[in-house]
Amino acid sequence: MSSHAKAAAQFIKNTERTAWHDQALFFVRQKRDNVAKNIDEWEVLRTKASQIKEHTVSNLEHYLTTFEKNAKANGIQVHWASDADEHNKIVAEIIENHKAKKLVKSKSMLTEECELNHFLEENGTEVVETDLGERIMQFLKLPPSHIVLPAIHVKRQEVAEIFNKEIHTDANNSDPAYLTQAARMHLREKFIEADISMTGVNFAVAEEGAFVVCTNEGNADMGTSFANVHIASMGIEKLVPNYESLGIFTRLLARSATGQPITTYTAHYKKPAKGKEIHIILVDNNRTEILKDKDHSNMLKCIRCGACMNTCPVYRRTGGYSYSYFIPGPLGINLSMLKEPKKHSGNVSACSLCYSCSNVCPAKIDLAEQIYKWRQDLDKYGEADPMKKMVVKGMKKVMGSPGLFYAAIKSGRLINHMPRFMVYNGLNDWGKGREMPVIALKTFNEMWKKGEVRSNESSKNK
Amino acid sequence: MNSREKILKKIKSFPIEKTPMPKFDVKAIASEDRIEAFKQSVKVVGGQAVMLKDYGTIDNLVTVLFPDVKRIATNLEGINCATENPDNFSMASMLNGVDVGIVEGHFGVVENGAVWVTQAMKHKALYFISEALIVILDADQLVETMHEAYKREEVYGDYEYGCFISGPSKTADIEQALVIGAHGAKAVTIVLT
Ligand code: SF4
Repeated sequence: MSSHAKAAAQFIKNTERTAWHDQALFFVRQKRDNVAKNIDEWEVLRTKASQIKEHTVSNLEHYLTTFEKNAKANGIQVHWASDADEHNKIVAEIIENHKAKKLVKSKSMLTEECELNHFLEENGTEVVETDLGERIMQFLKLPPSHIVLPAIHVKRQEVAEIFNKEIHTDANNSDPAYLTQAARMHLREKFIEADISMTGVNFAVAEEGAFVVCTNEGNADMGTSFANVHIASMGIEKLVPNYESLGIFTRLLARSATGQPITTYTAHYKKPAKGKEIHIILVDNNRTEILKDKDHSNMLKCIRCGACMNTCPVYRRTGGYSYSYFIPGPLGINLSMLKEPKKHSGNVSACSLCYSCSNVCPAKIDLAEQIYKWRQDLDKYGEADPMKKMVVKGMKKVMGSPGLFYAAIKSGRLINHMPRFMVYNGLNDWGKGREMPVIALKTFNEMWKKGEVRSNESSKNK
Repeated sequence: MNSREKILKKIKSFPIEKTPMPKFDVKAIASEDRIEAFKQSVKVVGGQAVMLKDYGTIDNLVTVLFPDVKRIATNLEGINCATENPDNFSMASMLNGVDVGIVEGHFGVVENGAVWVTQAMKHKALYFISEALIVILDADQLVETMHEAYKREEVYGDYEYGCFISGPSKTADIEQALVIGAHGAKAVTIVLT
């Protein structure tokens, strides 16, 4: 069993929650479908988005230096970090320079990637996540289980419980409106007191030297409205050439993510306000390695919408924590393999090769095709399932010899009549979590020979 | 070698086939009645768009739509119902508790009900901290899609902060139940003049 399958077994124990998780995400997927369907030019947008990203990534040096030059001219301070450690040190240095104590954060998968919170807290800084879902996860001391919907696997009663403990709400009131209002009041104080506000970056616009942060809650905007220092962290792939490109991406992002026509706030940060500072950190942390890898460099086109997770039948039924990487789903499978293939190869089995992710991705990333490629190379990472390998080897032999093939089918029919405990036992890996297919009583070949095969036409005429 | 040089050198060190930038020639459908379509979009995102002529003045509109409010903040001229001018406040936190904030927008986007605003006051907090936000917008300044929006000169203007605001602040982070009013305004009213 792969590491994913083992972890998933844990998640699916609670069948009610599994069903809810599956349906909630499928609902988000359907909302995406509805809005996409209403835009005739949807496929054109996807193609253009993919081309713009490809162009930008293939001219990355040019766009990085252009962005740097223009951002500096706008008064934004630009930093470069080769890896997570350096990123975290830069943040710590800025905090130190301002003798800051309190930091508010809006959602950023990059800071998650760099494990920034942990690092800062050890250094004595108070870090407050301000996105509601992220705050819930921070209280629960758990990582997000989805990149856009961090607390999608948490039930309202659990939120009520943890809020009661942390911010003294009524433990018996699990009404989302009540809990959200409580979080609003609690975090309002945090915004007002903060010395530093951190945000991620959805798009950095090279020609304008500006960057864009998208939220529905307005937490990034609230944060930067009070703290005097704004630190924005971005992976170097987040660049786009110009505002015209954003005409494409702002139409795709929220529609793909949640089925909204646009996020509530699409904020453009261009210059620091008087007496304030804006810092931006450009982070590599393995991205240049991905750029080198022809088979997988497409991953750098990702705009982190989460659509590939919402549509993935495996993700929906197994949850974010079944994957060994902090990003789950088809996106996470690929990114984890690019990061540490030996450690994360258990994730590549978390795919039914339905290709739905590739079909919904607004940047047209060939997610499933790439997962397929990883599977072909599994031997290299020493993780190919020995049981499955044996089965596949056996199948090759059987399929290659008609005699053996039909003998195998005949014995296969026996399975239909075997007691369940013999089929679904510990030795049969296929039987775990799967219903065995019912094997046909006659082969096509037998039916054909006895003249029992008819076309649709002739059976209608009968 | 610092990290900047390291990263740039690494990118240069392997050949990547440079692909061209695509053309921005996306044909999007145009609505028949822009104002009606815009109103509809604002409604979809949880806000409302009204015509100023139906109320006469902003003062009257505030009285009708927000009868029980105490603190009304704006730095716009000619709004008599305003109780405070946020530009007189030394700190943004003094805006905490404002019931209605009144600001101006540059143009609206029909496809998503968004309005482009650029910071035109001392504390941009007003856009978010007001319980209800009123955005005054010239009804002639509507574009169909984000493609047109990013051609407008206001987007390229000399501002510190600019934002497309589409309806009130919202979240669905607890069990996917939509709740209006996460951190920002709980109500957004676009007043078309
Ligand atoms: S890979 Fe595509 S679908 Fe998945 S998060 Fe990235 S942009 Fe969205």
